[in-house]
Amino acid sequence: MSTTEVLAVAGLRVSFGAVEAVRGVDLTIAEGEILALVGESGSGKSVTARAVLGLLPGTASVSGSARLGEQELVGASDETLRQVRGQRIAMVFQEPATALNPVHTVGWQIAAVLRAHQPLSKAQALGEAVRLLDLVGIPDPGERVRHYPHQLSGGQKQRVVIALALANNPRLIIADEPTTALDVTVQAEILDLLRDLRDRLGTAILLITHNMGVVADLADRVAVMHRGELVEQAPVEDLFARPSRAYTRELLAAVPRLGHREPAAVAVDDVALSLDQVVVRYKDFLAVDHVDLRVGQGEVVGLVGESGSGKSTIGKVAAGLLRPESGTVSVLGGAPAAARRQIGFVFQDPGGSLNPRMSIEDCVGEPLRVHKVARGADYRARVAALLDSVRLPASYARRRPRELSGGQRQRVGIARALALRPTLLIADEPTSALDVSVQAAILDLVTDLQQTHGFACLFISHDLAVVDSLAHRVTVLHRGKVIEEGPHHQVLRTPTADYTRRLVNAVPIPDPVEQRTRRTREATPVG
Amino acid sequence: MTRYLLRRAPSALIVLWLASVLIFLVIRAIPGDAAAAMAGPDASEEAIAAIRHDLGLDLPVFTQYLHWLGGLLSGDLGRSYLIGGDIAGLVGEGFANTLTLTLAALVIAVLVALLLGPIWAATTNRWVDRVLTGFHTAAVALPPFVTGVVLIIVFGVFFRLLPTGGVPPKGMFDRLDITAQYLVLPAVCLALPVAGVLTGFLAETLRGELRQDYVTTVRAAGVKRREIVVRHAMRGALPVAITTLGLQTGALLGGAVLVESIFSWPGLGLLVEQGITRRDYPVVQVLLMLSVTVFVLVQLLTDVIHAYLDPRVRLGAQT
Repeated sequence: MSTTEVLAVAGLRVSFGAVEAVRGVDLTIAEGEILALVGESGSGKSVTARAVLGLLPGTASVSGSARLGEQELVGASDETLRQVRGQRIAMVFQEPATALNPVHTVGWQIAAVLRAHQPLSKAQALGEAVRLLDLVGIPDPGERVRHYPHQLSGGQKQRVVIALALANNPRLIIADEPTTALDVTVQAEILDLLRDLRDRLGTAILLITHNMGVVADLADRVAVMHRGELVEQAPVEDLFARPSRAYTRELLAAVPRLGHREPAAVAVDDVALSLDQVVVRYKDFLAVDHVDLRVGQGEVVGLVGESGSGKSTIGKVAAGLLRPESGTVSVLGGAPAAARRQIGFVFQDPGGSLNPRMSIEDCVGEPLRVHKVARGADYRARVAALLDSVRLPASYARRRPRELSGGQRQRVGIARALALRPTLLIADEPTSALDVSVQAAILDLVTDLQQTHGFACLFISHDLAVVDSLAHRVTVLHRGKVIEEGPHHQVLRTPTADYTRRLVNAVPIPDPVEQRTRRTREATPVG
Repeated sequence: MTRYLLRRAPSALIVLWLASVLIFLVIRAIPGDAAAAMAGPDASEEAIAAIRHDLGLDLPVFTQYLHWLGGLLSGDLGRSYLIGGDIAGLVGEGFANTLTLTLAALVIAVLVALLLGPIWAATTNRWVDRVLTGFHTAAVALPPFVTGVVLIIVFGVFFRLLPTGGVPPKGMFDRLDITAQYLVLPAVCLALPVAGVLTGFLAETLRGELRQDYVTTVRAAGVKRREIVVRHAMRGALPVAITTLGLQTGALLGGAVLVESIFSWPGLGLLVEQGITRRDYPVVQVLLMLSVTVFVLVQLLTDVIHAYLDPRVRLGAQT
């Protein structure tokens, strides 16, 4: 590892009014080094990165020091910072779908960024854009340079964003959750690209992420942030092998791992949900292609697949929210619409699925009111019992959704889904918007509740480890088709289908040593 | 693009046809008798009936409508009852003048919006923001008969810089600099409300665009702020502004009637005014139909431009 420092941050503090978001952070990044800055949402990791580039809103006050060579960045003039941005430090963002301008071609956007720092003609800049697209592994770059973002896939868009960052040969790239919005197979490709760029160009990378698997896969060194402070900094192997701080240990323990749970099965007598040869088409797009699926009473079935695989559509069909083009759906032997009281639904976004104008009590009790099950004192007692079952204090009944954290809101969502004591619970990505430690708690809660109440559960997720941690059986979807189906340990540990194997292999293992072994094994051609 | 246009054409035709029915019926629902008005207060019942027969007003309403529609489609706009002469001739002369005035107003409004919108959206200076907020409120709120009178008093009477009204003595195309002097006050007066609305819309959509993630992307890549506003964000904001501009054409057409009478500009507005006060219904009918047609065409045009500016619409239509 080179000893030349690219960036040295010392005593960095950022506050928004009275709220201190970053409280004295010290870190350095050497040339060609990949430093992972990890922590949960609100820990101040993104704020730290943006403060370095002066990209925070006007309400933020920043103090301390961030030195780029001889250049002090904290308090630097707008023009100085503009010169630094893109040219010496560039940034890659989380959401490739929105990080590119939809109304300009990708070539135009790369050219605009090139011309911000270099005296190039339009034609020269476009030529350079083609070279950059090639560098980040976009096939047929001469053609792609004329494409608009909506004509590219999510992974290709993220490659374009990386090309934008590389345009002016920065010495440091700040990558803020660069793979969080991507499918796991695409994530693996982007991580390979970043590693490769570091090796070829010697660009240092400050990787901001909450995903410990990504950290183990890519980072040389790790800095852990908690509540605005840097709690631990260590080389990646040391941190995973011997975390010195309690918080780091908690964080690592909360990371769901594939294949760490004992095989579990339930005796299934009756079928709670069954889909036979279900087909759903959106205009010309075949979203669900002759799918058979069965969830027994008291059984948890995990439905996994990448975005666009049709898993959420199946959830909607099962709940009777969407009528299939052909095929039959039955819930407890009848049509889903007739069994609506028997079905509970938990949504992905706990913020968006609760009415902000209602109290928590009314959110949870809504099904009881709609179906005229309980009123008055009985109603309040039942809501209190539901809140208690999801481990929320009774005093929260009077609060509004915005006064709760993301994890607490998802507990409310679960309590609402359980209000009518359903026989079937459909949970669509219930933890994907949550931090790992919160996710772990929610998964524990769902498992406990399932064991207590014995409801059947269709658990939809793109995260294999999450599904592995609670499902009895797993169904793998790809492009609307069922690829593989079976007991969870069998599907996720010894998959038979090629696609499942690729999916499982793409999941970064939250262990740097194991991950490295796997990568060398993949690099060496077998046979 | 042609296919897109073809897809939109049927609905435009239906709108035009509905408008023709509505205009025809509404004019007939106005109390008063055109034949009686034409014949004068002392005319006998027979004389009025004769005029009515001459004008075809004794035919069933449906037949009258078909005659009118058939005429419109074959290019015969009919004859004026009272102002006299062929309506096509009357309209043709006024149309050129009104077109000159509205186009001048449109250009002024667009230039003002393109200049002030981005400044208002991007400014961090409180005073600039206040001045532009004041301009926006005043321009949108003040009716043409107030701004027109103020403009005449200030520039025509007080400073004596510009003519207070009328048209160039030797015709519109004799000397363009003189025509411009006559045109500027009515055009500014007509443009102001539209300029206000457009500036407001453009600034607001630009502010929305500037909050988008892609703006952060290019900011983090070191692109200059002015460049971001003018080149990156503008393209996304323009479609909304152009749709607004299309809707504002209605305001321009309506405003022209007022402005032309304030500045004695001999356009269609004066013709509308005369036609209504003198119950010259064929003239009014044709003028209303004309303004609906212009409005529909402008809508079609803005939709096409909108589609062209947004690659998601344009390329989506191709595949």
